[in-house]
Amino acid sequence: MSRSTRWVGLGAFLIAAAGWPLPAGAHHSFAMFDHTRTLTLKGTVTTFRWANPHATLELDVPDPHGSEPVKHYTLELTSINMMQRNGWRSNMIKAGDMVKATIAPLLSGEPAGLLLDVTLPDGTKLEPGVPAITTFKRTPEPE
Amino acid sequence: MKSSSAWRAAAIGAALAAIVAAAAPLRARAQRGAAPEAKPAAAVPDISGSWERYGGFGRGARANDPTIPPPNPPPPLKGEYLKEWQARVQAARDADAKGTPLASNATYCLPEGMPAMMGATFPIEFLQSRVQVTIIEEAFTQVRRILLDRPQKSFDEVEPSFYGRSVGHWEGDTLVADTIGIKEDIRFQNAPHSKQLRLMERIHLVSPDVMWDQLTMEDPVTLEKPWTVTFAYRRMPNYTLLEYVCEDNREYADDKGFQRTRIGSGK
Repeated sequence: MSRSTRWVGLGAFLIAAAGWPLPAGAHHSFAMFDHTRTLTLKGTVTTFRWANPHATLELDVPDPHGSEPVKHYTLELTSINMMQRNGWRSNMIKAGDMVKATIAPLLSGEPAGLLLDVTLPDGTKLEPGVPAITTFKRTPEPE
Repeated sequence: MKSSSAWRAAAIGAALAAIVAAAAPLRARAQRGAAPEAKPAAAVPDISGSWERYGGFGRGARANDPTIPPPNPPPPLKGEYLKEWQARVQAARDADAKGTPLASNATYCLPEGMPAMMGATFPIEFLQSRVQVTIIEEAFTQVRRILLDRPQKSFDEVEPSFYGRSVGHWEGDTLVADTIGIKEDIRFQNAPHSKQLRLMERIHLVSPDVMWDQLTMEDPVTLEKPWTVTFAYRRMPNYTLLEYVCEDNREYADDKGFQRTRIGSGK
């Protein structure tokens, strides 16, 4: 993690922890994502969109038990500027890749969420540098 | 139709005005140079290049480091404005707690404007020239220009904008800037301000690689007293700012003013 990202993350956490009003206007709130649980999704990438204000990753996720139809998820990442400073490149994920994603789901129940980390086909695990990531409680991955 | 003598008077007047305007910066410099100071004026430092926000986000982080500024105080708002601000902050906090954040300028991918852009959420670049200091913040590609050795206009002459109109001059090693004309809906930490908001900045190095912007907000309508905040930056010698275009904004406000997210790949 780059120094700048660490400071942004630490700053956001400290601001949140101190109950200080968040900077109005800088970047949108992450309050619409569930901070109490995570989902682990294993699926096929349909789109990896390298654009601001956030990159997006879209996945087709089959039901592990085979009883439900494939579910399509839209995942929000951070700004591609933060990701690039963290070492990400636009060609790291391609349509058709099988990936494992840890997400904080959208509270509305829609099939969408905030990507906390993604594991690529070769085993590389990438984090988009979500600010205040420690405020997202992780659910253990199902066996 | 004007008489020839009136034309002549107008022409002489215009010529004199041009000479006075051209001489003003020289006079200002001469006056500053002539001040009976004990120590010689420090040289203008080289602040060009990329910088990142440093230290100032938290409270008490590395408290013993003198290059880390003190925590920024809350806005010293007058009674009715203080109530409005507290209500707004509480409403945002309540909405966040319910998982339905209030829409803000960020929802629409609007830039922060002044003075929030100086908070440098993303890296910030300073470019010095003889006549202007240009500041670029990477997020939203925000740009402001500090015109050097030029007079400030009156509040009525400056149209409201995100970054306002900045003029400045070097006082030894310190860049002193004066900014007016910030749109009333461009708020710093949600604090309300009037058309008479004035930002006074003192930008200077506190060590070879750490720079402070001590920024004082003055507003006779909303503030009890001047409100000073300090942003610290450290050099990023090998960093070139990246572009930032809000190309795929998926956030929007619903009819109740809550922020929503568009999902799926539909354009």
